[in-house]
Amino acid sequence: MPASATEYSATVWTHFRSPCNAGEFPAGTAGVLGGEAGARQRGRAVAFQLQVNADGRVADCRYRVYGCPATIALCSLTSEALKGRPLAAASAFSVVALAEQLGLPAAKRSAALTVEDAIRSAAGRYNSPGWLPLAAAELTHRA
Amino acid sequence: MNHKVIYLDYAATTPVDPRVAEKMAGCLTCEGMFANPASAHAPGRAARGAVEQARNQVAALVGAEPGEIIFTSGATESDNLAIKGAMHFYQGKGRHLVTSRIEHKAVLDTCKQLERDGFEVTWLKPDPDGLIQPSMIEQALRPDTVLVSIMHVNNEIGTLNDIAAIGRITRERGVLFHVDAAQSAGKLPIDLKTLRVDLMSFSGHKVYGPKGIGALYVRREPRVQLDPLIHGGGHEHGLRSGTLATHQIVGMGAAFDLARQELAQEAPRLRALRERLWQALHAAIPQALLNGHPSQRVCGILNVAFPGIEGESLLFACEALAVSSGSACTSADRQPSFVLRALGRDDQLAGSSIRFSVGRFSIAAEVDTAASIVSEEYRRLLDLAPTG
Amino acid sequence: MAIYLDHNATTPLDPRVLDAMLPWMQGAHGNPSSVHRPGREARAALDRARMQVAALVNAQPTQVIFTGGGTEADNLALKGVCGGTPRGRILVSAIEHAAVLGPAEDLTRQGWQVQRLPVDADGLLDFSGLQKMLADDVRLVSVMLANNETGVIQDVKAVCECIRRYGVLLHTDAIQAAGKLPVDFVALGADLMSLSAHKLSGPRGVGALIVDRRVDLAPQITGGGQEHGLRGGTENLAGIIGFGKAAELAHLELDRRSRHLRGLRDQLEARLKSMPGIRIFAARAERLPNTVQIGVAGFDGEMAVMELDKRGIAVSSGSACHSGSGQPSHVLLAMGMDAVQARTAVRISFGMDNSAHDVEALLAALAAVTAKRAGALALA
Repeated sequence: MPASATEYSATVWTHFRSPCNAGEFPAGTAGVLGGEAGARQRGRAVAFQLQVNADGRVADCRYRVYGCPATIALCSLTSEALKGRPLAAASAFSVVALAEQLGLPAAKRSAALTVEDAIRSAAGRYNSPGWLPLAAAELTHRA
Repeated sequence: MNHKVIYLDYAATTPVDPRVAEKMAGCLTCEGMFANPASAHAPGRAARGAVEQARNQVAALVGAEPGEIIFTSGATESDNLAIKGAMHFYQGKGRHLVTSRIEHKAVLDTCKQLERDGFEVTWLKPDPDGLIQPSMIEQALRPDTVLVSIMHVNNEIGTLNDIAAIGRITRERGVLFHVDAAQSAGKLPIDLKTLRVDLMSFSGHKVYGPKGIGALYVRREPRVQLDPLIHGGGHEHGLRSGTLATHQIVGMGAAFDLARQELAQEAPRLRALRERLWQALHAAIPQALLNGHPSQRVCGILNVAFPGIEGESLLFACEALAVSSGSACTSADRQPSFVLRALGRDDQLAGSSIRFSVGRFSIAAEVDTAASIVSEEYRRLLDLAPTG
Repeated sequence: MAIYLDHNATTPLDPRVLDAMLPWMQGAHGNPSSVHRPGREARAALDRARMQVAALVNAQPTQVIFTGGGTEADNLALKGVCGGTPRGRILVSAIEHAAVLGPAEDLTRQGWQVQRLPVDADGLLDFSGLQKMLADDVRLVSVMLANNETGVIQDVKAVCECIRRYGVLLHTDAIQAAGKLPVDFVALGADLMSLSAHKLSGPRGVGALIVDRRVDLAPQITGGGQEHGLRGGTENLAGIIGFGKAAELAHLELDRRSRHLRGLRDQLEARLKSMPGIRIFAARAERLPNTVQIGVAGFDGEMAVMELDKRGIAVSSGSACHSGSGQPSHVLLAMGMDAVQARTAVRISFGMDNSAHDVEALLAALAAVTAKRAGALALA
């Protein structure tokens, strides 16, 4: 096997061994948008959740991931990077560029694309009927 | 080398036994038996004596005559020489050979090349336990069949084929029988006096000898003839030219000698270690599946499928273990193992399979640590994965 | 212990090479194809050795294919280039090693036509002969850089220039030359070049074929996809690492080695000239600094080897592969000698472990052997 595919950088390695923000929000948590991409049969599947504030910024993230170490590390790093970004910026966030910065081999580009797809799928639910951002949802609860 | 790594990949390669390394070092420098065994002078004769002693040692482990052992650069070359050599030499008789889909790459690639060169190959599919049954061979034979090539022990899953029964069939039908014994020599008793095997490949580095040396057994009675693969100075009865690497040959001889002496004690010990590992894994991960026949297998190899998680991640998460993945990692996009696929495992299960192989320097504590690392990492990755 | 003067047959391992190999012969044991840490360490060591071997002959690391020895490298070159169809002609010099002549002979059985290029009385390639044989149907020319028996060095660069316009590939067996002469794959212009570790104080059982990437080479040992798919089989790790170290040392010490060897050879040849009945073969040609092949008039070379062996001197009559065959050397016959003369051959090949004292011991033994022979003849 070419060494390049097995030699992950320290950052990738750390996030693979101890991923940040892994898991999912408890059912019924306010302001959560969820999206999925990929399929186990194809080697990777990602379910990404964005928790969005009333000002339209990402407050927090969670994800579940089935895939290679690069996919897991990209989920973890991306979940950190998205916090505080406006939803539009989160949706436009280039995981592919992140993967390149991390020195992942070109063959791992599809891992990055899967993570991007899951995030965009989540962000795309912003306008779905019945969904409210975090603050608004809390207001509704109080009312 | 990081000593914290627990080495459980003895089926890929074994460390050279220190007793073997010592003998090898004596055949290299000015002070030792360094000369060319083909040379007529005294240093040359001394080297020749060492080579012949090693030939005796290799022959003794498998019940062959020393004159039936040809030294090669490794089991891959032995497989190439046996298969191409026999198919080319006996072209007049026919151009058909029988092998299985789960042979080692050395056999698969060689047969594929012969196919491109106009030979016909029947590729047998193993049964769900990973075995090639003698009846499958019987059905595949044709009047123009020259050779059957079936491995003794499968390198990935450790299953053991009944080469005694297959040999009875091929001999009766006048077909040559080649066996790749790279994974079985030194681990199981092999007696070529009773087995009806015509050609058998051996590897030095799977038996605690050096890499870059192997041997091919070529039966004398009844005589088997081969076209050589490497031509030149006419070494090894003209079957394999090239200056003999005395230190490598002496290393292989010493390694096979040790294996012969220790086989009776070592095989049950390895079997117990393998069972201990499987029991521990199965207790911690009830979903885990054993790949290959549960009992008809070599002592040291265990191959397990771990459902629900991705294989490369499991392999990397278990970085403290040197094990092999069920995938042939030949490219960045991993190909699922052709052996596991042939057994009927789907891509996911084939991809999340791990081969553990224990050997001479393995101890119970290592096996226990390995089982707990794998179970912990398995649970972590399973928790990480989306449901469904 | 015998005085060893047969370094063209094989060389003792340099202790520094042994030191480099020992960790890989003992503790370290990864399979370079495995992805785990020991496997990756093995892979890195393999890559380093590849660079060291490439550097010795001014090649690219990607051009190095490790093999199980020089013979296999020669076989891979000839059979790897001349497989399949359309079949054509192969020109090999008449003085090639058996490792080239053997596969050439095998290719004739597959329909290839093999022709031998003549050499002159000094063992040098006859260029007019080469030119006459060249045509578009020639696929490969194989001319060795330095001969193992006589030590004669060929102008491979000129061969290359001569054949270029026919689009013919050139293979050169540089097994005896590498480590004794500067060898430059690029400057020579060859397409394929064979090397062996054990002729340059490295271990036996490992060699390399240097291949220009434009050459379409068919693997001869298949399975596992190692060496860019051109040579299957788990790598001989300790051997390759030893080869790398030996190549590195040969590269660094080439001048010093060549001076030392030439000094011994000149010392021997100066003295031999005053000994009656002794002729130095190919004396006028440019030769390897370590090799002297002589004929002792009226004396069978194999007999001389045995007599010297009794006196503790290890030399050979020619190629080790042919020792004991009783056949006169094809190299000497090609140089126009008759069988009787060719049978008088004795080859002395020096190495770095030899000293001026060894030369004197050889001369004394040689004098004793020839005197004994003269005495026996006088009695008869």
